[in-house]
Amino acid sequence: MLVVVVVALLLVTNVATGLAVYYLAPATPAPTVQPLRVIGPWSASEKDKFLPVLNLFKNTTGINYEYITTRQEDLQSLLPNWFAARRAPADLIFMPSSFVKTYGTQGHAADLAGTVSESNYAAGALDPLKDGSKIYGGAYTGKVKPGFWYRQSFFAAHNYQVPTTWTGFEALLRQIETDGSVNNTPIISGDGVGWPLSDVVEHFLATYGGPDMNKQIMAKTLPWTSTSVHDVFANYLVRTLTPGVVCVASCWSAPRQWDTGVAEWWKGDYALYFMGSWITGMVTPNSDIRVMPLPGGVNPSGVVFAADYFFVPTYASRLNDAKRLAAFLGSSAAQQLQVTVGGHIATVTGVPLSAYPAVDARIAANLTGKVILSDLDDTIGGTFQGTFWTQLQALWANPSNLNAVLTNIQAAMPP
Amino acid sequence: MMANGRGRLRIPKIPVRTVVIHAIAWGIGLLWLFPFLGVFMTSIRPVTEILNGWWVTNPFNPTLQNFQTAFTDPTTPMWRGLRNSFIVAIPSTFLPIFIASLGAYGFARFRFPMRDYLFLTIVLFMAIPQQMVAIPIFVTMINAGLWDTFLGVILVHTAWALPWILLFMRNFFQTLPLEVEEAARVDGASDFRIFYKIVLPMSLPALAAVAVLQFMWVWNDFFFAKVLLFSSQNLVATQLVPLLSEAGPFHKDQGILSAASIVVMIVPIIVFATMQRYYIRGMIGWTIKG
Amino acid sequence: MSAKGERAKRSLSSSFQPYLRVIFFVPATVLLIFLVVYPALQTLLLSFYHPPGAFARLDNYGSVLGNRQTIDTSDWSIPYGTLVNNFLWIAIHLPLSLFTGLYLALTLQKVRGASIVKSFIFLGMVTPMIVGGIILRFLFDEKSGIVPRAFGLLGISGLAIQWTAYPETLLFGLIFGSVWLWVGFSLIVYSAGLTTIPRDYFEAAQMDGASAWQTFRKVTWPLLRPTTLTVVTMTILWELKLFDIVFAATNPNGGVGGAADVLALQMFRYAFMAGNFNDAAVVATLLTGLTLLVSTWMFKRIIIGKGKNAGRLERALRRLWARAKPQGSVLKA
Repeated sequence: MLVVVVVALLLVTNVATGLAVYYLAPATPAPTVQPLRVIGPWSASEKDKFLPVLNLFKNTTGINYEYITTRQEDLQSLLPNWFAARRAPADLIFMPSSFVKTYGTQGHAADLAGTVSESNYAAGALDPLKDGSKIYGGAYTGKVKPGFWYRQSFFAAHNYQVPTTWTGFEALLRQIETDGSVNNTPIISGDGVGWPLSDVVEHFLATYGGPDMNKQIMAKTLPWTSTSVHDVFANYLVRTLTPGVVCVASCWSAPRQWDTGVAEWWKGDYALYFMGSWITGMVTPNSDIRVMPLPGGVNPSGVVFAADYFFVPTYASRLNDAKRLAAFLGSSAAQQLQVTVGGHIATVTGVPLSAYPAVDARIAANLTGKVILSDLDDTIGGTFQGTFWTQLQALWANPSNLNAVLTNIQAAMPP
Repeated sequence: MMANGRGRLRIPKIPVRTVVIHAIAWGIGLLWLFPFLGVFMTSIRPVTEILNGWWVTNPFNPTLQNFQTAFTDPTTPMWRGLRNSFIVAIPSTFLPIFIASLGAYGFARFRFPMRDYLFLTIVLFMAIPQQMVAIPIFVTMINAGLWDTFLGVILVHTAWALPWILLFMRNFFQTLPLEVEEAARVDGASDFRIFYKIVLPMSLPALAAVAVLQFMWVWNDFFFAKVLLFSSQNLVATQLVPLLSEAGPFHKDQGILSAASIVVMIVPIIVFATMQRYYIRGMIGWTIKG
Repeated sequence: MSAKGERAKRSLSSSFQPYLRVIFFVPATVLLIFLVVYPALQTLLLSFYHPPGAFARLDNYGSVLGNRQTIDTSDWSIPYGTLVNNFLWIAIHLPLSLFTGLYLALTLQKVRGASIVKSFIFLGMVTPMIVGGIILRFLFDEKSGIVPRAFGLLGISGLAIQWTAYPETLLFGLIFGSVWLWVGFSLIVYSAGLTTIPRDYFEAAQMDGASAWQTFRKVTWPLLRPTTLTVVTMTILWELKLFDIVFAATNPNGGVGGAADVLALQMFRYAFMAGNFNDAAVVATLLTGLTLLVSTWMFKRIIIGKGKNAGRLERALRRLWARAKPQGSVLKA
């Protein structure tokens, strides 16, 4: 008899827990008649800038959408499991190009060769996604990493000129230091997980090694330990990192959180900040912001253009509608609307410079004549990225370790 | 001051040694507290004031703004983190206690072949790190549709707690005098009746110790939460804190981060402060074989 | 002891409803098998396979152990690799936290307000380790952290830097920082252990004219052996399983150059960031092997009672357990 009571007790506690959990936990959306689901990494203000484009899509096609913010690092580990279960959490997902290509070749990303047309895009925009004649995704707008940002007013106040040669650049750094016009090192190193440092390195490689150097490294035909790569590091970047060579201490600050760093740099604690073009949306008044690429170097030089890539999973529940969205995102209508809010550069041709805010128009204009490069660590991806970043942090900490760093980076390259 | 029989006051000498020992002990205590003081100070002042060090007291404008932002921020609000932590921690405390007490009683009182070897094996599971089970659990939960649900995390925490609670409660049950139970058996009571009418009430202190430890352990856990919970609404408090600290879309300044850290810390601190006797007993007791 | 022990060994004398007794074990067994035993075995199995499903024998072990991320003996400079880091952590953290806790436990015996001091020190144990890692990260921050500022004031400008930006200071900063967090455990357990030593021993030593140091060496330390065993084992297990602290203080890659990378973090990275379940399983198995080694060693000594002083260990521990009654707080002891 008591057995019954105890068993009932067991049941009740478990059911009570289950009910509590069920009612207190947020409900997951019902799987029937769902809107077109889009997953992107943007939240808060960046998301607010993206939604108008999705709204335009909804208004022109009548297709309702749902946008969900998810960090790409989280998706890196989750999506493979979804794919293994032959399902996908959304109909269109933004992910780095290395991911899209890897999983596209395994059949999890739909071939968009008939949907997005290469002729729409600037040369090379879709290259990281291509495998033969198949294109496993599309490119949306992107951000450029054009060079070192500075305040026009700051330079004017101290009578600094934009250098045209490397020696001029070194002289500028020395000058800033001797003048004491900032309280810290002339250049601020942004950090976080490490990608801002890799942006810097890619810029040095693209300028003084030439865009072919970046391409060959990405194609794994040129090792990091080769003399040409080593020399770009040693003769340029490491000179500025090593105390006593160009500046008394390092010309670069110890890596700081890159987003708080923006405020510090804008305030005048630092003179130069290497960043991507999204920085124009982060400071006011952005009429004061200017950018200078590294001077001199190989001609034509390369500029890293990190486009936001997306793909449509083959398991998307609304495959055709997702492809329509993909085509839309790759159209000049969508991208033109996006660039008007600032901080974005279009990957498609057909977006006039007049659509950009002034500062972005300058950047877009600067792109002419330069070779567009994709982001190196995003393209290689995988475990390489993490090691790449931490090794660069180590290089910043100890520039004399250049050889060890290059060896470690090369060891982390995928076969 | 003591008076001796003659009416003269004598001041007792405090040996230098005692003073020194007290100074060292209290010095170390305060030194250990110092970083927490820093977190507290950072949380109650606007971040611009502490950028050069929280010990700089000029200007000093205490404010609760950081806490407010930490609590109500639209993308990663701490109130939701706290709620989720409770949703996970409370069932994860009571479920395993109930289940393991049953089993522990069995190990303590029933005789069957290989009992001790079986028990030892289960206890050895305590030594397995979370990493050893993470991947299969991750995949299983996805396949069962329980990934990113509270139920999934609760089940995992429950199962994970069983070995140590089994050990603890079995040791405890073995210290209980058999006579009471035997008398009840002579009276014709069944095993279950003996268990929950007689044994459980006698075990309340031990159960309290287990509950305190388990609750704090689940509250403070990060790894299982990180593997099994994913959408913003489901994140527990311990997951929100690193999100706030990473540069990126959720990044918050140091003041808000400190406020969020305090919010997460305050619950186990309160539990510890009120239940510390049980906590200590639990911590020492579970390594012992009865 | 013998009569009581005998009673403990006897079970309840009855075969009344023997089959229903199984129900006592059912829920625990089900959960354990599905969520602990089976997954652990699956992970073990995973470590012997290549991703597409081909049997790999020990290849994965070779590649992980040969990987620089795990063991880096190419030079004497950091990074040393995760396996080395965990052992380094043990080598430094264990003696430091153990002896500091012991010293404090001894000293605080004679201090007024000891329980308050103990609460201050124990705060680190109560905090979630993820918050502990964040605290450590800001403790070592160039601008707003106490440690660099303190070194600056002492004139050691070499350490008045951003500790997390440089490999050496990152690793050792985190190790010392984790001592700060973990000392509370050693303190509390030793405090309880000290209360189990009968006063008579001390009085006898005093009458014999023994100095404080001699008393400690000949009386206190040997009698504290079971306590020491507990502290050593728990601390080593904690050091092997480090994850939250490093994750929060640095990033999933283990900080600058991977200087503070540890096994658990490496496993997480392989499994949930690179999607390489097989190599992650290898790391997890290695980690489990180490923890099992430590635990069985300790359990052998305490539970089975092998080794000399086995009986004494048990009795001492039993006293410890009895001391920690709810009627009196051990903190006040």
